[in-house]
Amino acid sequence: MKLAVVGKGGSGKTTTSSVIARTLAKGGLAVVALDCDSNPNLGISLGVGDEETERLVSMRQALDEGEEAHAPTWDTLISRYGSDGPDGVRLAVVSRIDNPEPG
Amino acid sequence: MLGSADFDEQDVVVADFEAGVGTLTRLGEEHVDTVVIVAEATPKSLEVGARAAFLADQKAVGRIVVVANRIRGPEDLERVRAAFPPGTEVVGVPHDPKIVEADRKGVAPIDLDPDAPAVKALIALAATLLPHSN
Amino acid sequence: MRLAFVGKGGAGKSAISGTFARYLARQGHNVLAIDSDPLPGLAFSLGLPIEYSPPIPDDAVVERKEGEEGPRWRLNPDVDPLEAVEKWSVEAPDGVRFLQFGKIKGDPRNLWKSQIAFRFVVNRLPPGNWNVVGDLPGGTRQAFTGWGNWAQTVLIVVEPTAKSLLSGRRLARMADLDPESPKRVLAVANKVSEAGDVDMIATGTGLEVVAAIPLDDALAEAERRQLAPIDFAPDCPAVLAVESLVERLSEERVS
Repeated sequence: MKLAVVGKGGSGKTTTSSVIARTLAKGGLAVVALDCDSNPNLGISLGVGDEETERLVSMRQALDEGEEAHAPTWDTLISRYGSDGPDGVRLAVVSRIDNPEPG
Repeated sequence: MLGSADFDEQDVVVADFEAGVGTLTRLGEEHVDTVVIVAEATPKSLEVGARAAFLADQKAVGRIVVVANRIRGPEDLERVRAAFPPGTEVVGVPHDPKIVEADRKGVAPIDLDPDAPAVKALIALAATLLPHSN
Repeated sequence: MRLAFVGKGGAGKSAISGTFARYLARQGHNVLAIDSDPLPGLAFSLGLPIEYSPPIPDDAVVERKEGEEGPRWRLNPDVDPLEAVEKWSVEAPDGVRFLQFGKIKGDPRNLWKSQIAFRFVVNRLPPGNWNVVGDLPGGTRQAFTGWGNWAQTVLIVVEPTAKSLLSGRRLARMADLDPESPKRVLAVANKVSEAGDVDMIATGTGLEVVAAIPLDDALAEAERRQLAPIDFAPDCPAVLAVESLVERLSEERVS
């Protein structure tokens, strides 16, 4: 099941995503939380802490700046560049923070 | 982006999308089962939310749920309802000092206080989102 | 001065920058307020009832001809940035001129030429004519990726929350790495309610905090009513704090 949570910045979508992800995981489901925000903060709301959240973001940056010729596959992104959060929620950061589109 | 992905090993993917124009456009192209639109009772938040609902609707996404967030009273809930088409599923989440505290401390709201009103409302919503519960 | 307000979504940039622009104009300065968010925001905080103003026309940008070098799009040579501002900005209260990104009513992809034109016009304004106060969209996408090149000073608006601090640190780091014009980067603490908040924000971002705007219901109420805070609640603590910031930055002449 794929679930997208959207909203204006500051409206509470990250808090909402985090409670939904943690609740479904507590119920026994295998849950992946994807942070598709160009300013990724989902890790904090999930409960992994700000240092780990920033580490994942740095990894994502390094990934793009590194040797990989192709964009990572979903499996790679989630398994190699993701992190296990509380209740077994797997967190991955999808977007680069300095993507220069207007928005 | 998500539509072509094969998430065999996962039961649920929760994708937290920023609400920029680019994303809202891409939302119209995604394949998702449920879109949860989080909006507060302020003009800007509702503007973004309404656009997201419009795009999701065009794409005939399975289910659209609006979370009316930080609700302080019935007028707030009404204001949010009025911004979406009649019949849209709207779930109210109250303004909650425990969420504010969790934000300040940088901890998960569900860890700080799973019984806080806003957390309970979101947990209840999550239960209705279970893949087999429709 | 040329100031850009940046910060995590919801931090309060629009309310602060709109109030700042109005008060700076009241001090007798020429103020151009710009909003490069494709979604509406700054207009309300300035006191403009309009949501949408006509975008800069498509023919303000021209495509590179075959065989020509350089970027694919550039400002039409017939377009002078100062004239563009005269032509395409609208007048807000207190004589503030307001130039807005194309706002999306329909398909945002139709507005991209106008958005590129906006970026050129703003980045090429000659110094001296206008004090520019800009509201950049929330997050990191625009702040230091070329959309804020016109700014001399960047004010990162930070709330006393972990997420906002993390965003603030990120933005400060991006400013450091930005190869374009060196900018002064400062923090504005917003929604301050507890004694240690300013210190938390200074320590958490590593930046000098130049203003502490208190948590103030009047700003939220102004927003709900789509009124400028400076009109709705001119004496509320938050508005007064922004006015102090204007005075402080004017005196320092840092920007």
